[in-house]
Amino acid sequence: MTYALVAGVLFGLYFSLVGIGLNLVFGVMRIVNLAHGDMLMLGAFIAVGVVGVFGIDPLFAVPLAFVVFVLAGLLLYWVLVPRLQGSANPEMLSIILFFGLSQVIEAVTTIFAGTSERSIQSRLLGTVFTTIKVKWFGGKAGGAGPIQILGQGFPAPWVIAAVTSLIAIGLVYLYLYRTRLGTLTRAVMSRRDEALATGIDVDRVSAAAFGIGLGLAAVAGVFAPFMFGSVTPAFGADATVTSFAIVVLGSLGNPLGTALGGVVYGVFYMLVQTYLSSWADLLPYVLLILILLLRPSGLLGRRVRVA
Amino acid sequence: MSPETKPILTVSRLVKRFGGFYALDGLSFHVVPGEILGLVGPNGSGKTTAINVISGLYAPDDGEVAFDGAQAGGIASHRLVHRGINRTFQVPKPFLSLTVRENIQVALAYGHAAGHAAATPPSMAELLDEYRLKEVADRPAADLNSAQQKMLDLTRALATRPRLLLLDELAAGLNPAELDWIAGRIKALAATGMAIIVVEHLMGFIEQITDRVIVLNAGKEIFEGTLATAVREPQVIEVFLGGEHAA
Amino acid sequence: MPDTSKHLLFILAPLVVVFAVLPGVYQNHLLLFNFVIFLILAQGVNIIYGFTGYLPFGYVGFFGAGAYGFAIMVMHLQTPAPLAVLVGGVVAVALGLLLTPLLRLSGAYFAIANLAASLAVLHFVANPALENITKGPYGVSLTGTFNPTDAYYAAIAVLALTLGGVVYLKNSAFGLALQAVREDAVSASMAGVNVVKMRVIAWLASALVAGLAGGIYAWYVSVFYPDNVFSSDFSIFAIVFALFGGVATIIGPIVGVLILYGIYNLIGFTTPQYFQLIYGLLIMGLVLFLPAGLVSLATRRGWNVP
Repeated sequence: MTYALVAGVLFGLYFSLVGIGLNLVFGVMRIVNLAHGDMLMLGAFIAVGVVGVFGIDPLFAVPLAFVVFVLAGLLLYWVLVPRLQGSANPEMLSIILFFGLSQVIEAVTTIFAGTSERSIQSRLLGTVFTTIKVKWFGGKAGGAGPIQILGQGFPAPWVIAAVTSLIAIGLVYLYLYRTRLGTLTRAVMSRRDEALATGIDVDRVSAAAFGIGLGLAAVAGVFAPFMFGSVTPAFGADATVTSFAIVVLGSLGNPLGTALGGVVYGVFYMLVQTYLSSWADLLPYVLLILILLLRPSGLLGRRVRVA
Repeated sequence: MSPETKPILTVSRLVKRFGGFYALDGLSFHVVPGEILGLVGPNGSGKTTAINVISGLYAPDDGEVAFDGAQAGGIASHRLVHRGINRTFQVPKPFLSLTVRENIQVALAYGHAAGHAAATPPSMAELLDEYRLKEVADRPAADLNSAQQKMLDLTRALATRPRLLLLDELAAGLNPAELDWIAGRIKALAATGMAIIVVEHLMGFIEQITDRVIVLNAGKEIFEGTLATAVREPQVIEVFLGGEHAA
Repeated sequence: MPDTSKHLLFILAPLVVVFAVLPGVYQNHLLLFNFVIFLILAQGVNIIYGFTGYLPFGYVGFFGAGAYGFAIMVMHLQTPAPLAVLVGGVVAVALGLLLTPLLRLSGAYFAIANLAASLAVLHFVANPALENITKGPYGVSLTGTFNPTDAYYAAIAVLALTLGGVVYLKNSAFGLALQAVREDAVSASMAGVNVVKMRVIAWLASALVAGLAGGIYAWYVSVFYPDNVFSSDFSIFAIVFALFGGVATIIGPIVGVLILYGIYNLIGFTTPQYFQLIYGLLIMGLVLFLPAGLVSLATRRGWNVP
């Protein structure tokens, strides 16, 4: 029980990171990024590349993935979004547009990388810490062993992913509540039309949110090989559905709600895995539907979403 | 006008809350067939909320709406439409991708339930002609300018043969010539026995067409009578001028 | 001649006749069958998305429910295939009824909830705990009813029914009212339209045709796994085909299926990733430059497209 709960929280924090970028993009632009999972998949491939080419700790892929994808996001934003926003029904068409994008990403990745599963030896993650530890304090070199929490051992990559996620969520919070652009972002999220009317540069705010959203997805992707065992180009579609479940749980359009949604999802997921494994696959979806119908604004939301 | 006839709509002690805010706080009034009643008051005084409750968009939290002798509060809009209530919207809401003709067709086809006797239906040609939409009849509603969209909204309502028509700021944004013309049309509709409630900010327009006004403030009636007397009433002046000066 | 007869005579009839005759001259019957199935599904999407505005991202749920409705009737009650197909349709409608609360959701929320619903049905059917009823993840084998020829003609019958339904929607006050609801539900109710009833009818109609198509698919292939008949490719293909041609028209989805599924069969089997690339780029180009589908090339010029 303790094991399932702690593992659930660790996974949940990671799931929050998985979903938060999707939510930021929807909250600001009312755009449903169905290619979100593919950004995760590409992030994972960056990690695989960093390990394969340089043979260094995949943690170094985190800043790399973030920077690359923020830039890619800005570029994609300017190519796709203004045209989309000009159409009759941007929310609906965004689903289809980004589905097309996800197909393109999946196809291109398959063409260049094949369909085989990619994984990274889990002991490679966090070697940078153990190296520092050995240098400063002496001791045995090698990968990080299991980490003890509440008397139980958990794989080091889970803990590292959870800690990274916490830091990332903290940074998103600081961005939204402590910077000028973040404040404007919140203004656009609460009333897009009024924000336009008051002269806020909605395009700049949106582009930033889009870039950051993609960057966060790619960072989450770096850890995907450790959390899910391996990744293939087709991993993106499943990751998108999972992200949705998390985001809706927390409330769509409220990025910080996603942190709660992720933890609830993670704990729930681990408990079901442990005690009801034959129904485990079914429950996330049923949960998603029930939350949408019974608590239509998510666990933390206030927004009305009824037709 | 014949104010002595039996009211077609009677609203009694109507209450509508949004969270802790009382948009309507015990509103009562009535309107008789053939009468044009104005609802006036500052922004947020509950005029549009009153129309939304009477047309079935919101269910009242307390109080009663009686239409034609039968209870009408909290009944689904399309049923009220079939019983003879219709309205226009402050911001017109036409079916944008359908043509003007198709917009009206929907209301002609669905506006009337079997078994409810009413006057002969207005014809498509009449409606298009009388509300100056003939030229644009086969264009999508999205192509119309805002005055034309307002007229389309009105014809959509009229196609259902209402006996009570609620007009929410129909005149706002029209030019003086259009105002005169639409005032004439509204009076002509009332002359056929239709009861009409007009929510409007343009006092000149209200003066021109209404028989009687109700002045609302904070969801309550503070005055009832003609506009000419209303403007001499200290409480009314307080609400309109005092409120604005203070703000 | 009224438009309804014109549409029946010049669109529905030729299409049905061509597909009825083609097996005699073209050998790849499975391909023809798949074309008919996608024509049905694309028109089913047209009914619920084109006319009503709900994007059914989990549309395959009805298809799979129909396939399993068919399979269960055949496996456990030895029902004759045509009757089992009808039961497949009924099962899909029952699922549609169960899911009517989803219609309260709007826009992306509906699309996501519908996707989740189809995945939930998949995992329910594929659950090893239900092996006695559905054969769980191990798949079903229905060799007793295997008859691709009859199944093919049944598919054409359902296609005719579906097209007939769309022709009705395109030419009736009922179809117009549905579109009014799609455009603005509040105004539609003020035009006297019973919004909830209209939405439910369209939803169940589109569930019915997908369920019948699923039952016939089960009849035709006779051996399948849950992942086959609940593959989200069915939903996605049907949606993209319908959109590509143009929804809320009769010919849009037909054109979409013939062109895109044609391309798919030319290049999709040998090099699926290149098809996926082209298909993804086509979708993106469509949304950005032709959001109302290919037919909008004609409607923009003021031509009336049925």
